[in-house]
Amino acid sequence: MKVLVAAKRVVDYNVNVRVLSDESGVDLNNVKMSVNPFDEIAIEEAVRLKEAGQAEEVIVVSVGTSACQEQIRTALALGADRGILVETDEEVQPLGIAKVLKAIMDKEQPEIVIAGKQAIDGDNSQTGQMLAALGGYGQATFASEVELGDGTATVTREIDGGLETITVKLPAVITTDLRLNEPRYASLPNIMKAKKKPIDTYTPADLGVDVTPSIKTLKVSPPAERQAGIVVETVEELVDKLKNEAKVI
Amino acid sequence: MMANSLASDLAAIVGDANIATSTGDLEAYGRDWTRFYQPDPSMVVFPKTAEQLVQLVAIANERHLALVPSGGRTGLSGGAVAREREIVVSFDRMNRIHSFDPVDHTVLVEPGVVTASLQAYAEDQSLAYPVDFASAGSSQIGGNIATNAGGIKVLRYGLTRDQIAGLKVVTGKGDVLNLNQGLIKNATGYDLRHLFIGSEGTLGFIVEATIRLSAPPPDLNVLLLAVPGMDSVMRVFDVFRRKASLTAFEFFSDQAMNHVLSHQNIGAPFGDRSDYYVLLELEETSLEGAMTAFEACLEEGTVIDGVVSQSEQQRVDLWRYREGISESITPHTPYKNDLAVRISRVPEFLAAVSDTVSARYPDFELIWFGHIGDGNLHLNILRPADWSIESFKAECDSVSDEVMAVVARFEGSVSAEHGVGLLKRDQLHFSRSPAEIEMMLGLKQVFDPNNVMNPGKLLPR
Repeated sequence: MKVLVAAKRVVDYNVNVRVLSDESGVDLNNVKMSVNPFDEIAIEEAVRLKEAGQAEEVIVVSVGTSACQEQIRTALALGADRGILVETDEEVQPLGIAKVLKAIMDKEQPEIVIAGKQAIDGDNSQTGQMLAALGGYGQATFASEVELGDGTATVTREIDGGLETITVKLPAVITTDLRLNEPRYASLPNIMKAKKKPIDTYTPADLGVDVTPSIKTLKVSPPAERQAGIVVETVEELVDKLKNEAKVI
Repeated sequence: MMANSLASDLAAIVGDANIATSTGDLEAYGRDWTRFYQPDPSMVVFPKTAEQLVQLVAIANERHLALVPSGGRTGLSGGAVAREREIVVSFDRMNRIHSFDPVDHTVLVEPGVVTASLQAYAEDQSLAYPVDFASAGSSQIGGNIATNAGGIKVLRYGLTRDQIAGLKVVTGKGDVLNLNQGLIKNATGYDLRHLFIGSEGTLGFIVEATIRLSAPPPDLNVLLLAVPGMDSVMRVFDVFRRKASLTAFEFFSDQAMNHVLSHQNIGAPFGDRSDYYVLLELEETSLEGAMTAFEACLEEGTVIDGVVSQSEQQRVDLWRYREGISESITPHTPYKNDLAVRISRVPEFLAAVSDTVSARYPDFELIWFGHIGDGNLHLNILRPADWSIESFKAECDSVSDEVMAVVARFEGSVSAEHGVGLLKRDQLHFSRSPAEIEMMLGLKQVFDPNNVMNPGKLLPR
């Protein structure tokens, strides 16, 4: 069985993002970029399927600029067998990525696609669902446990206030939640070996896909700043402030 | 009654609201993180200006009182302990950041500024204050300077000393000295600024500091390597240092790893275990060079395995294997030693100290870790479960002089970065010659003739 994993290059989770002064977006200059954390979990899950003998091949796909090769190399070091870069300088939105992934699925015919439940930059949580809809595949989102059966996958989903267990027919799209697994570190000997693993590069046009953005960003603004705390001198002053300023007592 | 008149005289200087005498305050401000001493100060004063401090020092000289400086109280050698009815001078309320000079890249601060606040302030200026350590959230810059604090980035950015462009101090005599005024070049004789850095408040108290900020750090990666022996650790240091721009080079033993894994509830970073581990941090731009270095070490067998962070979160997580050690061994009441030797002598020194302790106490577990890149080794001796804390400490004290004799033989330091304070005072002679100590006492006499500034600390009485 083939497993396809989608990995997005995003601003590192720990970076303090700054909004550009013209409010057109966030500053990406000299900002550390990493694999989307949910996609790290997707890569780990695919590699575990392979290690358990349930998958023969793990293919990692990334859509974006040529710099995305870095994230593909990371996935290869973690255990993926080969990479596909769909290179474009366009800003790719969920629908565009879903179309690209659909084209790759037509080409590679994997039984399972695993992707993060959302990317931490756009926070859209749309790509996996759109891909399933475009291809008419089963979809199991927000997975915290995946078990493969005969032509099916049984997936435990994290839903509001509990868990839901569903069985989907393959091929299917699975999106990962935080608790699915704990990704391993990239081992240096494996990074050395990964240098020899192949990465194929296509453009969206090669795949017959149009990734022109369909959504226009009007404005990006930072969250409201919190006021600094104050030190009160006496209990009386505290009570007074709670009563008359905060109006909570 | 005398105490009362003293309190009112001090109150006349700093104001009633800036004096504390409650039992809770006396206990809290009477000590640092060292837990071997019972705090017993007479009162705590919180000056707000340099002028107030000058007046306090004048009264102390007049009445032969002892003043103990108090910052974030995170010291590990009892340097800020007041146990003999001293007056604690807390810098908590001298905590303003005065001004930033965008051309000089310096910032003028009061001593009570918390280290982490200075780091955050520097970041707001798109610069960095690069001295960093676990207690940065509590420690104050005045204390950092008085102890010449080190930490985890010394290899790349140096010690606190290297960031100080100017100091204003009040000496024990009551003089206000404005030292070096932020200059870079200043070839005008003795640089008194450097005497006050690391003086542990025994010559005078710092009331203002001009601090040099650095360019913001580039993106960093962490490598954690499994290494078969101490000689390999040194070889790995040599190879990587040639190929990559290192910001940290730390090592720890497999025993340390065991404690972290069982205490921190985190998984092993890789399958293979080895006698030692190296954590090295480097600038991302030199990652290619680090890979070349790794390949070379793997080939010659000086590393067995290794992992590298792929994100900022993983970088932080990998640090936990190293930074989690202290916390993980705390339940075993570790007897701590903070030693330094020249980098090249580390393996031989480590073996000699291990032999010395194990010869007397084969049952004591020794946990080694430290900043190899700085020649700084932390030796922690763990208490066996069937030993009482008292008898364990007594035995460790008795073997301590033997350990320090090894330090002396290797021309090392009995305190690499924790200072001397009370805890290491009687072992100072293992690192400093009698002539040197006499000179130090002479300097103390010059700046503080009446011995009012943190008496009994650092130097023999």
